[in-house]
Amino acid sequence: MALTIAVVAREVWDTRDLSGTVLDENGRLRPGALPTRYEPEDLNALEAALRLKDAQGATVTVLSPGEVRQVDVAREALYRGADGAVRIAADPDELDDAALGALLAAAIRKLGSVNLVLVGTAVPDTAGSLLARHLAQALGWPAILWVDAIEETAADRVIARRAIEMGYESVEAPLPALLAIGVALLEDDPRAPRPAKAMLKLKLKKAEVPVWTPAELGIPDPAARCVTRRRRREPVPPRVIETRTVDPENEAELRAMLDSVRKGA
Amino acid sequence: MSRVLVIAEVADGVFNDISLQCLAAARALAGPEGEVEAMLVGASVRPHAARLAAGGADYVTVVDDARLATYTTEPWLAAARAQLAAAPAAAVLLPATTIGNDLGPALAASLGAASVVDADGVAIEDGRPVAWRVGFDRKVRTTWAPEGDRPLVATLRDGAAPMPGPDAARAGTIRTLALDEVLAGGGFLTKVVRRDVAARTVNLRDADVIVAAGAGVGSPEGVDLVRRLAAALGGEVGATRAVVDAGWLSADRQIGQTGATVRPDLYIACGISGAIQHRVGMLDSRTVIAINTDPNAPIFRSAHYRIVGDLKAVIPKLLKLLS
Ligand SMILES: Cc1cc2nc3c(=O)[nH]c(=O)nc-3n(C[C@H](O)[C@H](O)[C@H](O)COP(=O)(O)OP(=O)(O)OC[C@H]3O[C@@H](n4cnc5c(N)ncnc54)[C@H](O)[C@@H]3O)c2cc1C
Repeated sequence: MALTIAVVAREVWDTRDLSGTVLDENGRLRPGALPTRYEPEDLNALEAALRLKDAQGATVTVLSPGEVRQVDVAREALYRGADGAVRIAADPDELDDAALGALLAAAIRKLGSVNLVLVGTAVPDTAGSLLARHLAQALGWPAILWVDAIEETAADRVIARRAIEMGYESVEAPLPALLAIGVALLEDDPRAPRPAKAMLKLKLKKAEVPVWTPAELGIPDPAARCVTRRRRREPVPPRVIETRTVDPENEAELRAMLDSVRKGA
Repeated sequence: MSRVLVIAEVADGVFNDISLQCLAAARALAGPEGEVEAMLVGASVRPHAARLAAGGADYVTVVDDARLATYTTEPWLAAARAQLAAAPAAAVLLPATTIGNDLGPALAASLGAASVVDADGVAIEDGRPVAWRVGFDRKVRTTWAPEGDRPLVATLRDGAAPMPGPDAARAGTIRTLALDEVLAGGGFLTKVVRRDVAARTVNLRDADVIVAAGAGVGSPEGVDLVRRLAAALGGEVGATRAVVDAGWLSADRQIGQTGATVRPDLYIACGISGAIQHRVGMLDSRTVIAINTDPNAPIFRSAHYRIVGDLKAVIPKLLKLLS
């Protein structure tokens, strides 16, 4: 059985190393306060799908919830070699993982014949829970989380290696299945995603990306599927730390530092 | 609140003591009139039940079966569902580990319950359980609540609740459930075919001094310098995930979101950029020294002493001063 793969692509707030305040007086995210990016583990998931396609042939379709804010992740996926992309017209920041999972599951059914779903394991700052599990439940499929390598695929099953606290384990699941892909930190990490291809960018710049509405997916009111409600967002006061700069060339300063921390310790 | 369930964790024979923090949080949610239930699932886990009773559980349900030597979602989920069918709970708490963060959302999704992972705390608001997490680079605290009167399933990070002092006088009621009864015909969909898991050799949480290596150490030789500094200070060696992924130090030394949360008296960050996933694990250290070649490295914002320089030059100087 050839693999027909659906990959989730989320555009998320890039919350690394933020400066300035993030919330307005009403506890809402200040528009413009944050850049966005392709969810890094979703990008690893796309890479895993494209590797399967390169190795054994597969059809890869990307599903991207939400309107484009700053980064068109659906198009970014096409530029990397995805065969198709679909946008789902629903604001993921206003839905919980159960509702988002239900919408994505409906889209996967609409694609038809999908036997492998890939998504990042990471929980974006706006999300309460781990989407992969809610999506797997909505599909009624088994799932393997924190996957860092897809070791074997056969007609009816997949074996994936997943990272757990003290090592790795290889887990087998019958197809269809969902795999949630984890972090890739090292540059030579096989999960490290490929860059966009200039040729595909030229070719697909104007390509139509279809939009499916919740109504078309049979879930006209996705908010009614929410079971977890965000009650509020509050600013966290920054920690004030008095930082002393110590000149590494100055032995007296280094000694004074060591003396004071060892006294404290 | 009426009843709160804690699904405790024993992985590879090791009891995860965040389970005890979950019990403390469960006790606070349940209130004096409420009941705290705990559940233990696995192979040869029965001996740990007394710890849960001493830690505050009124009842402990044990599913102990040789077929449960390693975690897979389906039997654990079936056990939790059986427990909740017999004794419905308003909230379910689990440690935020790879087991808890798999099982918690799976359980919530299968029950239609609310789900929060990696919570930094739980409380009762307006008579209902809520859970919160600090995110957005530690600038925003988001609180979630169940819609309507659904239960809340939350996984708790290390430090989300105080560690309860064990009360050996507490006995609790321990009961057992048979796996076959729990599975009721359902099976194991996924199976673990191979494992390569190391035994834990250190518990960084107990260390007073930690010298941590980041990718800036550059090589196993760089790690050696860090090791020597730790030895000179009578401390332990810690690591970032980058260093663990590179295979230079073992995973039990990882500090951060997916590693240990530590609060030593002295933390020396060597060649660590200070990504939020690392900082959440060491922010509460009493004194932090950071050594980094990049004057703008985010780690300096959490540091009491800032040393801009090459660790390969700075650490030998410190070693000389300490000798
Ligand atoms: C879901 C998820 C979970 C994660 N969990 C964790 C976790 O638990 N723990 C964790 O640590 N990370 C975790 N990470 C990874 C985290 O985001 C960072 O990638 C990681 O912490 C970076 O490690 P680092 O600081 O060692 O490496 P880098 O970010 O590569 O930093 C290296 C630093 O060394 C400095 N440097 C280079 N050479 C020298 C020199 N000669 N002397 C001095 N300084 C030098 C550089 O200036 C740089 O600042 C997680 C990521 C994700 C997505």
